[in-house]
Amino acid sequence: MSEKLNRRDFLNISAVAATGIMVGCSVASDKKRTLEEVKFLDQAPDGKVLKAGLIGCGGRGSGAAIDFLSAGPNLKIHALGDVFKDRVEECKLKLKNEKQEIVADENCFIGFDAYEKVINSGVDVIILATPPHFRPMHFEAAVDARKHVFMEKPVAVDPVGARSVIASSKKAEALGLVVGTGTQRRHQRDYVATFKEIYEGKIGEIVTANCYWNQSQLWFRNPQPEWSEMEYMIRDWVNWTWLSGDHIVEQHVHNIDVINWFTEKHPIKAVGFGSRQRRVTGDQFDNFSVDFEYENGMHVHSMCRQINGCTDNVSELVFGSQGYTNCRNKIFDLKGNILWEYQYPQIEGVEKNESVKVSPYVQEHIDLVKAIRENKPFVEAENTAISTMCAIMGRMSAYSGKEVTWDEVMNSDLKLGTDVYELGKVNIEKIIHVPGLA
Amino acid sequence: MTEKNKKRKSIYLKLLLVLFGMFLFLILNYGYEESSTNEFCESCHVHPKATQSWKISAHVYNESGVTVNCVDCHLPPSGMEKFTAKATTGIRDLYGYLFKDSTDFNWEKMSQREFADKHVYQEGCLNCHKNLFPPKLSKKGQDAHLYFDQNKVEIRCINCHLETGHYHEKVEEEIVDYSKSGIIYTEAAKVDSFKNFTEKIPGTSVDFEMIAIPSGKYLFGSSENDEYKKDYETPEVEVSLNQFWIGKAEITWNEYYAFMKETGTEGRTEDQIIKSRLNNVDVISGPTPPYGDPGQGWGKENRPAITMTYYAANKYCEWLSKKTGKKYRLPTEAEWEYAASANSKGVYFFDGNPSDYTSEGFWKSIFGADTNIINSYCIYKENSMNKTHTPNSVKPNQYGLVNMLGNVKEFCSDYYSENIHDIYKNQKDLQNPKGPGSGNEFVIRGGSYLSDAADLRISARDFTNQKTWLRTDPQIPKSLWWYSDCKDVGFRVVCEFQK
Repeated sequence: MSEKLNRRDFLNISAVAATGIMVGCSVASDKKRTLEEVKFLDQAPDGKVLKAGLIGCGGRGSGAAIDFLSAGPNLKIHALGDVFKDRVEECKLKLKNEKQEIVADENCFIGFDAYEKVINSGVDVIILATPPHFRPMHFEAAVDARKHVFMEKPVAVDPVGARSVIASSKKAEALGLVVGTGTQRRHQRDYVATFKEIYEGKIGEIVTANCYWNQSQLWFRNPQPEWSEMEYMIRDWVNWTWLSGDHIVEQHVHNIDVINWFTEKHPIKAVGFGSRQRRVTGDQFDNFSVDFEYENGMHVHSMCRQINGCTDNVSELVFGSQGYTNCRNKIFDLKGNILWEYQYPQIEGVEKNESVKVSPYVQEHIDLVKAIRENKPFVEAENTAISTMCAIMGRMSAYSGKEVTWDEVMNSDLKLGTDVYELGKVNIEKIIHVPGLA
Repeated sequence: MTEKNKKRKSIYLKLLLVLFGMFLFLILNYGYEESSTNEFCESCHVHPKATQSWKISAHVYNESGVTVNCVDCHLPPSGMEKFTAKATTGIRDLYGYLFKDSTDFNWEKMSQREFADKHVYQEGCLNCHKNLFPPKLSKKGQDAHLYFDQNKVEIRCINCHLETGHYHEKVEEEIVDYSKSGIIYTEAAKVDSFKNFTEKIPGTSVDFEMIAIPSGKYLFGSSENDEYKKDYETPEVEVSLNQFWIGKAEITWNEYYAFMKETGTEGRTEDQIIKSRLNNVDVISGPTPPYGDPGQGWGKENRPAITMTYYAANKYCEWLSKKTGKKYRLPTEAEWEYAASANSKGVYFFDGNPSDYTSEGFWKSIFGADTNIINSYCIYKENSMNKTHTPNSVKPNQYGLVNMLGNVKEFCSDYYSENIHDIYKNQKDLQNPKGPGSGNEFVIRGGSYLSDAADLRISARDFTNQKTWLRTDPQIPKSLWWYSDCKDVGFRVVCEFQK
């Protein structure tokens, strides 16, 4: 490890710690508030070969596979699975070009049942990167097969799915499995160092927070004559609520998760609104604004938008009785003076570097592999399921126009989409919600 | 004695004390261990049922071959509590063994959850069952354990797993059609004048008696002389009521099963019901199949139907109205009390006062009370053996109604308000009052097989507690049709007289 690194870089509130920290946030509320600090490594320790199977070979899946391979020595991508053949082929090529990783043809699987074949192909780790709709089902199967899991956020699109992930997460904990969830800010060294300061009381008691994911339009696909409706929807998945959970769940869950992490609790109520202004395909909104309320009466405001030509902002702010923080690298007093700042490693030729030494997307895989090889398991899935559930609560409120409580979502039997997975017609109601008329 | 000898003596003495201490410890420990074996427990707990039902339970008869011993569940797992609990149960059991006859005990009653609660330690369950999400856990189990995880304070393991330590053969629940065992009625009773009649439910062989209650005036609430009166039952107010019919007895399982059989659905959420209405499906939705035996294994047929929700009771009335072409509904609180009192002026419709019959209080709890009169009219705590009874086991009131005061409590149509008497007091010429216009819970009236004599008073009031009554329902969302945690409330119907 480099000597140049700041002392704080050695402090990692790893996912293990995060689980311990999320006292009020955890469904089981009897955990103690403890902060376990684990060293960040720049590379995962060596060990016997770990073979991973990737389920969902799109952009993020291929990226996650490359991040996994970058985490350390003796790591292999052993199997690939996707509904579509072209996706598997593209991913195979990308792995070969970028990482000289060859995946054997007999370990490439196509179709809705590809996930089972990947799980049973003799792998140690499963990487889940399909559209989130499939996550609870795939995660359950992976845990039942006793595989370590890296899965992308969000972990569900509806309350039934989120509860299933919490239950599977508890099973994984009991089995001593390692589960990472793609909430990479929790593995990003500057965020983690900032968290430690806040946890130790640098800004006093937390009184409110804001979080934002405002960006321009995300991608979409137009239907093609050779595609069935199911194929079209899956290829256009970020525009369909049953597949993505809508962008408040799909993207904004990151920021909501940071707020849950820093406040060590989750909201118990949401009143939100949102609408669809300029989205081209699908049935989702393109903007949400949600007022979250907490048990102690604290309010947190969340907003997210996917509209071109507007001001972009992806960040969080947490306010305390003695100051505030951007959660990422700075802490201010109540007058706006900087109280503390994260020290980034210096890079020659860069005047003020603001990148952490190891990309958080790789760091989360380093932490995962390290936990497996050092036999210090952690499971992030429950926390991420809770953050996902918060986002779902916000969405449900915005769709209906009505207040939605934590109790309601935790007891809701809402399950989106279909159970019939075949490339044909998709038997779901295609409506765009109108608040107040739900 | 020299200094040296003194010193030596004191060392010997100390040594002796230590040895004695060790000896005492060994003896006590031996006694402690010996008195914690299953055989030792069985030697006093001579009831064969407990040992037998334990032997066939999952705690003994299981795949892993592990045996869970008596003390694992019936004593706290460790700490000082374990010693004190062991001492107190030991003394109680010894007393029982020496002075009581175990054949007198009501084992059936003892095996119900309310009683099991007192003798099973939650920490004991969790001491062994550390992983609540084992690999083979079903979907339902997952949801239930997640719910438990969030509501640990309110729920105990044995709320759902009562049979794990002592197994009792379960009666497979199916909707038996008691309702079609004789002549099948083709039409409902024809009523052309205001007198008692027997209603017949078309398409079934079920009939039931309806009693004509004449119109009149009476004093609603507890009188000044009632020493057990409560604030929310006073002051007395004069109420006048139109004539109506009311069921002679509480709705029976025969009647309720006719409804279930005809309307039973899988759909259980309000959303689905509303949706089916929007689609103009003109049916009354009915209950989902119950979770376990709603009759608690006491038998059904003419015993009062219980554990249905307030919502379900109203749906029953809707259905019955449709079947018979009459207007059936739940009674208002005022109608209920008027029919129960049957113009009697006392606290009960028979002689006596609660103080004569209650078993509360020091002397009564030891010697009991002379309860012959109340026993002939009411099923309550003292004579119920902790279960409901058929209507023919008691005598009727002056109108001919049975079980108004006991057996099961009964839903009324009014929202519950603590201040309803004060509200009524300010109204002149109170006719057919229907309670407040809104509220959270509903009135229930009459006592039940679990009630003390004081709660059997005609004017005693109570109310639903719907959240608590669904506490241990493991379904998500909770049932619209069945309460998981209330088994002493049923209802009787009123039929409106239409001129």
